Amino acid sequence: MTVHEADICIIGGGITSAMLAERLSELRPGLHIAVVEAGKSIFDAQNRGRYRQRAMEYGEHPWPGDYIEDQQASGIISMTMAVGGLALHWGGACNRFSEEDLRLKSMYGLATDWPIAWDDLEKHYCEAERRLNVSGEPSPHLEDKRSAPYPQGPIPLSYNLQTLKTWAEQSGLKFSPLPMARNLTPFGGRGGCCVYDTCGEVCPSGARYSPDFTFKQLIAPKKIVLHDQTLVRRLIVDDKQSRIVAAQALHQDRPGDPIEFRAKTFVVASGYCWSSHLLLLSSSTRYPNGLANSSGLVGRYMNGHKFIQATANIDDQTFPGQNMTHSLISRQYFRCAADKPFVRHDTRVWESSAGRDPRLRSADGKLLLGDELMADWRSRTKGSSVRLRAYVDVHPSADSRLTLDASKKNRYGDPMPKIEHRFDEATLAREAATKAHVLGVFGTLAKASNGRIVNTNEGDYLDHPGGGCRMGTDPGTSVCDSYGRTHDHENLFVVGAPTTPTGGCTNGTLTFVALTLRSAAEIAKS
Amino acid sequence: MQRRTLLQWLAALPALVSFDSIRLLAQPRELTPAAIAELRAIAPTVLPSNLGAARAAAIADNFVAWTRGYREGVALAHGYGHPRLQKSGPSPVPGYISQLSALADEARARGSNWSALDRETQRTLLDAAFTKAGVRGLPARPSGQHVIVDLMAFYFRSSEANDECYNALINREVCRPIAITTRKPEALRR
Repeated sequence: MTVHEADICIIGGGITSAMLAERLSELRPGLHIAVVEAGKSIFDAQNRGRYRQRAMEYGEHPWPGDYIEDQQASGIISMTMAVGGLALHWGGACNRFSEEDLRLKSMYGLATDWPIAWDDLEKHYCEAERRLNVSGEPSPHLEDKRSAPYPQGPIPLSYNLQTLKTWAEQSGLKFSPLPMARNLTPFGGRGGCCVYDTCGEVCPSGARYSPDFTFKQLIAPKKIVLHDQTLVRRLIVDDKQSRIVAAQALHQDRPGDPIEFRAKTFVVASGYCWSSHLLLLSSSTRYPNGLANSSGLVGRYMNGHKFIQATANIDDQTFPGQNMTHSLISRQYFRCAADKPFVRHDTRVWESSAGRDPRLRSADGKLLLGDELMADWRSRTKGSSVRLRAYVDVHPSADSRLTLDASKKNRYGDPMPKIEHRFDEATLAREAATKAHVLGVFGTLAKASNGRIVNTNEGDYLDHPGGGCRMGTDPGTSVCDSYGRTHDHENLFVVGAPTTPTGGCTNGTLTFVALTLRSAAEIAKS
Repeated sequence: MQRRTLLQWLAALPALVSFDSIRLLAQPRELTPAAIAELRAIAPTVLPSNLGAARAAAIADNFVAWTRGYREGVALAHGYGHPRLQKSGPSPVPGYISQLSALADEARARGSNWSALDRETQRTLLDAAFTKAGVRGLPARPSGQHVIVDLMAFYFRSSEANDECYNALINREVCRPIAITTRKPEALRR
């Protein structure tokens, strides 16, 4: 057996792990930090242009080998398992939640409150934005006040988005450029944006933040030791105390040689799925329900947000393809008056070519060739399509669960996770009214410029999922405290998405990072 | 290796190498000169005329280069939301050769070559070929269903065609300074 010793062992290699490792190395220089990630390191930024080209021309995946074929979950939203995690190919959206997200119980009598004061979290939002070099514009809503400016000004609005902003604001809603972790000029060893416009797949210049850059910068000066392709299968508790003493792992290429990580502190930074999974897998005679699970809530209250989308057709002319990954956001409905029916959502607007793409046959079925096809296409490009989407605040029930699925096992015989989202009764009761409200907002937006909604649909999964190890002050109703320290094991922390009690109504990554940075000081103290 | 071991290994070879893999190894990986000539002949029919003969031929040649760059068994984008592992299928080249040969045969059966056929006959032949191949629309990128619809997708889904359609220098997905995107795209210079 190979043994590695460290002061802190971070399990997982995604964005929260990168931010935590970086912050810990600053707070406690010289600390021995081990980062253990099941997937590979794909540290070949120089090849990203070629990967992007292959993805565009052949549909190939632009992150070769970023998955483990037999380490997959039911109900997961991405197969990626690599150093950098899902943030290898995120869009870079860096929206903040709002105070309402943290006070759902006290303001609306819904779900639960987070055990954090807004002003406390807000400081860490600023810190997260600084590290990710977020480009943004202050919100027009006073409630969204900031204690520090964005590190960069907003990503300039394309001509298309300027046109759509003028159109959308005729509804009375105020829109801002979406805050994004995208360099306008080189920063942090990454290039500036040159509108490759494939942020959500791969960014050849590195302008859109991805954690592989942070890891490389931590590895070179030996601030951390990264163990990639190493799957942690269980955590081991001291025989007499409740402290974690080891993480048992296997290197994917050397399964015959078990590895043990011994550390003073263990941090599970494995995202919304694999964090709960590891705690449940680590069951023993002494802990038959897994670790940190005296409340029975590990793997419960799995959350995220629903989404409703629409396409509008308007008369104003745009030119699809200018900057398709940039968008507008309105935070108008982040707030809900306490005496009104509860509904919270963000509102996003993108340029679109939906319904205006080239087609092979005319409306009457005639095969179109050459000039005919171009003429048909051109005839359908007058005016614009607009993509609209709202992330809707929905709240999980305790039965919104991650469980171990004995029918699906990896090569080592470990049962794989199965995630099934469920809403609480209040969410279900207001579902129809929420949908009607959102469609009403879309309809109001569409009125200007002779617009009309041409289609709508609802997502069939929850985006930006979290939960499974929710934080709270009461060990009977939560898994960890506000810093992610588990109630049952003083040297075991969980950070990021799994600790969120509810999923908010806008992209979650910045919140996961802010929470993690807040945890860092507490972990460093330990 | 001892002689007996070598003989045992050779004897076992047919069992180790399946008929399918031998068949696949025997498949052409490159379009034949005749297929390329036919593709170039058909290109002006399915591409916009204002491209001109030379540009249409160049697009056909770029498409041929695309076929050479195709890789089998490579992981495709997993997707997001409901991800799944998919790998690229066998090279489309053998199918393309058959399809181009069939179109050439159809033209010959009408006592002609492709370029000499009238527009409606060309349309009828392509319509029948697409229907036989199960083509339902213009794919987002060449998909291997039919060589000609893939050539059309190769061009009409490109940034160049998008600019042509809008008569504007949009340069979709082409690396460029972000400031350029803040202005209304300039009209194409003719």
